[in-house]
Amino acid sequence: MAIVDAIDGFVVMEALMLLTVFTGLLGLLLRRSLFLKVMGMDVMGTGVISFFVLVSARGGFRTPILDGSVVFPGDNDWADPIPQAVILTAVVIGLSIQALLLVAITRLASVDPSLEAGRLDQLGRD
Amino acid sequence: MSWNPSGSDLTIAWLLLPFLAAFLAALVPRLGRPLILLVVATTLAMALAAWQGWLPSDLLLLGPFGVRLQLDQLASPLLLLTALVSAAVLLEGWGRAPDKPFLLLLLLLQGGIDSAIVASDLISIYVAQEVVGISTFLLLVQGNRPPQLWIGLRYLLIGNSVMLLYLLGAALVYREQSSFALQGLEQSSGMALALLLVALFTKAEVFISGLWLPRTNAVSPAAVSALISGGVVCAGLAPLLRIAAAVESVGPLLRWIGLASALLGLVFALAERRVERLLAWSTISQMGMVLLVPAVGGFYALAHGLAKAALFLVSARLPVVSLDGWRAQALPWRHGAPLLLASLSIAGAPPLLGFLAKEQLSVALAGPKAGLQAADLLPIALLLLSVGTAAVYARLWLLPGNADEAEEGQPASPGALLLVTALLLLNVTPWALEAWKALIGQGMTDALLKSAGLLLAGAGLQRLWPTGNDGYRLPDLEGFDDLLGGAVLVGAALVLLLSR
Repeated sequence: MAIVDAIDGFVVMEALMLLTVFTGLLGLLLRRSLFLKVMGMDVMGTGVISFFVLVSARGGFRTPILDGSVVFPGDNDWADPIPQAVILTAVVIGLSIQALLLVAITRLASVDPSLEAGRLDQLGRD
Repeated sequence: MSWNPSGSDLTIAWLLLPFLAAFLAALVPRLGRPLILLVVATTLAMALAAWQGWLPSDLLLLGPFGVRLQLDQLASPLLLLTALVSAAVLLEGWGRAPDKPFLLLLLLLQGGIDSAIVASDLISIYVAQEVVGISTFLLLVQGNRPPQLWIGLRYLLIGNSVMLLYLLGAALVYREQSSFALQGLEQSSGMALALLLVALFTKAEVFISGLWLPRTNAVSPAAVSALISGGVVCAGLAPLLRIAAAVESVGPLLRWIGLASALLGLVFALAERRVERLLAWSTISQMGMVLLVPAVGGFYALAHGLAKAALFLVSARLPVVSLDGWRAQALPWRHGAPLLLASLSIAGAPPLLGFLAKEQLSVALAGPKAGLQAADLLPIALLLLSVGTAAVYARLWLLPGNADEAEEGQPASPGALLLVTALLLLNVTPWALEAWKALIGQGMTDALLKSAGLLLAGAGLQRLWPTGNDGYRLPDLEGFDDLLGGAVLVGAALVLLLSR
């Protein structure tokens, strides 16, 4: 049990989230279908967003909303609101970009239903 | 009751204006063009104000964790460039019926680029990059044909993937520094810096992370190509230059990447057989030159962007786009003169702005600031790269004539005329005059002789270089997987180099 106690939970979580980003990147690189590539990008995004949430939870888990009525004496384990606020913007941007990508993919599917990146590359050549 | 707007109010109003104008133009399409003119005029005024220091140069909004804007001398040339390119693109389509979505997107793009240039904290930079990315994607897919959709999709997918890496880098910086300020980067880990840099390299069209550019420029309309080379690129360059200013240790790395990018672009541009693709490869090469000395990079980017946008606008009006039959065509003066002037400017011929930019770069490189051991080699490398650049543009030089068949065809390009005029007239602005004075003090004749030598060497090299049918074949590096691989390779190399 001593080994398990010695492991910092945050470090494990952090490693797992970075692994998620890495997996997504690998999917983006290695998958041949355009649709799966976009999914890979989404997995990357999930990893990055979780990482931000983890960074903000380093100081504690309590929701950082002060309303004055409740007092927690000697208790300062608030979550950091800054990364949380920042990542909200990134979530919205990520969602809208994915929507745009999927619309473009739907259109391209009528040209080449296999959606293979290698075949679609012929489109841009002169 | 009197209302005294402070400097920060003015800056915020200026950044908001393009977006409000876009909404207004959506409701009242008639106002589209006047609104773009207004936005361009305010951006020009802000570029001037930034140079003269009329407004507070450092704004911290919403407290220490909030948005940081820097309206400084780094931003000034880039703002000037993007405003002039937008104006040129607007002029270009003036005679035709207004294209409503295009005008709207131009407003959004201008707003995004303005914000990206002045943004000075990691998150504001991220948001501005994404606004620019989305507007560029929408501009690229305007025609709705499959090749355009594919090129746009490629751009957005790669751009967003690298921006995710950027966000990861920003999170790492926050974990270490508890702040998103650029100033904290100096102490942050190499891993974080590497992730930020790979995203910005892709956006700034540098080295193999910029491989998306040639095919994009070949498929997109001339106006969009001009915007990409003159405006969109500023959005990626400005944060790079800011990071270079904040983190001194990154200078040598940027210099090596810049040299590699300049060389790669030249080799491919010399072998290229189509005009737009030649221009795109040359952009990759020139962006490498911008990174050689980030302190004078903004000015270099200004000179290059004006000329490159003009070249795209003119080349779209020429009957021949293939370089194989280039010299056989009869080029009327109305196209030939702007083509010649813009390409001479990038090659570094006096008295155009490109000459001044190149001279500043070579003075800055030779100065004591270059902190490499191989510092003595850098001016020589720059000299060789300049000869290469002259050789690339020598492929376009063609003396215009008034042949009969030349009278037919497209009328002159008003946008290109505006940009070429700017290349000439910006020389007599006070700050360019100062640079000229310094140059004359250091021996004007030498500089002129050097420039003439460079141009002649370039023209000679171009004659010797095997092109056309007896040319050499370079690998095709522009498939979708090549682009991803290039970006990942650069990222991995940066991680390895910076995490020592």
